Amino acid sequence: MRLIKNISVTRLIIYSLLLLCSISVLVPILNLLAVSLTDPLRSQEMSGLDIIPKGFSLINYEILLSNPMILRSLFNSVFITVVGTSLNLLLTSMSAYILVKTKFPGRKLIMVFLIIIMVFEPGMIPEYLLVRDLGLIDTYWALILYKTVNIFYLFIMMRFFEDVPDSIIEAARIDGAGYFKTYYRIVLPLSVPALVTMGLFYGVYHWNEYFRATIYLNSQEMWPLQVVLRQFVVERDNSAILGAETLLSYDQIASLDYSALQAGTIIIAIVPLLIIYPFVLKYYTNSTLEGGVKD
Amino acid sequence: MKLQNLIKEVKKSWVIYAMLLPTLVYFSIFHVIPLIGMKLAFQEFRIMGANEWVGLKHFKILFSSPAFIDVLKNTIIISTMKIIFFFPVPIILSIIINEVRSNKYRKFTQSILYLPHFLSWVVIAGVFISLLDPTEGGFNIIRNFFQLPSVDYMTSKDHIRWVLVFSEIWRTAGWDSIIYLAAIMKISPTLYEAAQIDGASSFQQMTKITLPSLYSTIVTVFILNLGFFMNANFDQVFNFTNDSVRSVIDIIDTYVYRIGLVNGQYAYATAASLFKGAIGVVLIFSTHFISKRISGKGVW
Repeated sequence: MRLIKNISVTRLIIYSLLLLCSISVLVPILNLLAVSLTDPLRSQEMSGLDIIPKGFSLINYEILLSNPMILRSLFNSVFITVVGTSLNLLLTSMSAYILVKTKFPGRKLIMVFLIIIMVFEPGMIPEYLLVRDLGLIDTYWALILYKTVNIFYLFIMMRFFEDVPDSIIEAARIDGAGYFKTYYRIVLPLSVPALVTMGLFYGVYHWNEYFRATIYLNSQEMWPLQVVLRQFVVERDNSAILGAETLLSYDQIASLDYSALQAGTIIIAIVPLLIIYPFVLKYYTNSTLEGGVKD
Repeated sequence: MKLQNLIKEVKKSWVIYAMLLPTLVYFSIFHVIPLIGMKLAFQEFRIMGANEWVGLKHFKILFSSPAFIDVLKNTIIISTMKIIFFFPVPIILSIIINEVRSNKYRKFTQSILYLPHFLSWVVIAGVFISLLDPTEGGFNIIRNFFQLPSVDYMTSKDHIRWVLVFSEIWRTAGWDSIIYLAAIMKISPTLYEAAQIDGASSFQQMTKITLPSLYSTIVTVFILNLGFFMNANFDQVFNFTNDSVRSVIDIIDTYVYRIGLVNGQYAYATAASLFKGAIGVVLIFSTHFISKRISGKGVW
């Protein structure tokens, strides 16, 4: 009898502790969502703990999504993310396949080179000077070409590829398929979960990138969403979002609820991540937890 | 003869080299060149013509500069605070999550706790600015409820380092618990069955079976983190900083950014960043060898 009571008390503490953790993660985000959806006439009623909008209005999103600066930055972010991630996946998977599944003179040397790359990180300044000397300032390439191959992801990809059975690859080779054909006809189709996982990681990286965009892109119309968000929310610079060519009149500008607009901008930056999040849970988390971390 | 064989071999596998080439060229240009470029730390930067060698001049200025000593101190303080107060959280979290018997509830909490890891520090700074707002922020509303006065955390020198620690926990603790959960899954269920037969409570099972089984994972993660000790998270500090608190959370990386990219003192800033990088490399190598000795597994 005492035992059962003991167990249930521990359980109760554990369950409520986890509930408290979940609430402290969710409430601040849901509060921003609620603030952004609240009827502007009732925005004074909202407090920092409310997670249900008072009234309902999409006006903040209408203002944000009709703003040329926000629209433009959304397009920039999507472009950089799509192009960047495709290039990441192509180079990472191709080299991972070669390094894991083929034998050739010099392989050892290349592995040593990669470990040196992993251990020695260059600093911010020489990197900036290089990008400048290559004439990449104010081009999307300055962002896309940073970490085109992330050395850590390359090593993870190599571990994924170790699971592709050698017998299938040999069979393809005997049938006369070259290295490249084996790679894109056999290895890639067999590694979809690995590609999705790595693609999500690279994609999230590009979507969240703000620092290199800040230092490499001078023209505002090239800025990705994160930089606009930073100007508006972190630096509290309202002009970043109004832009010079705003269609709003002075009266309208005066009546804008900036904290609601800031909340809306944050939500817009989060939504794409929420869309891909179920895939992360499905592919990465489950494979890690069920298969165990490979070591 | 041997050379001829090698040439033959290389010729036969030219496709292999062609497929590796883009990656190797990429690393050579975007990694090796800036790495060599770190020599700027021993030079004077010239816009026209070759840079002039000045030896350890910048390092001498660096170590006699109170500003640099301050950021060095801040870096060490913030990293140490995170090791003490952040590091144990994912471990405790994984043990707690493992105790949840209802699959649905476990999946639900996991999917919420992993989420913040995918948000950028820009977004998280926005979330915390709103959460910690002195008048409307949720956290101060709770404080007021308990009759405590509001605090403007984002501009308070006494609190901002704790804001860094807590926002790090908020963002990363859930995600970091995955590695410990994976280790817990490997514990043999017979251990728990035996303990139950002997009448061990679930709390005893947690502290006497689960925690000790995590020991080697904890050591591995700990020494891996040590390798990044001098980083103290640039992205976080960069977005949480403002003029009121800069003096207590300015770290080496933000200092390098400001002195180098904002003020244009390229060589001097490179010296600061080389100093940081050198400590990092020493830490990584020592952790590699310590890890090899303890667990037989190195960092690479």
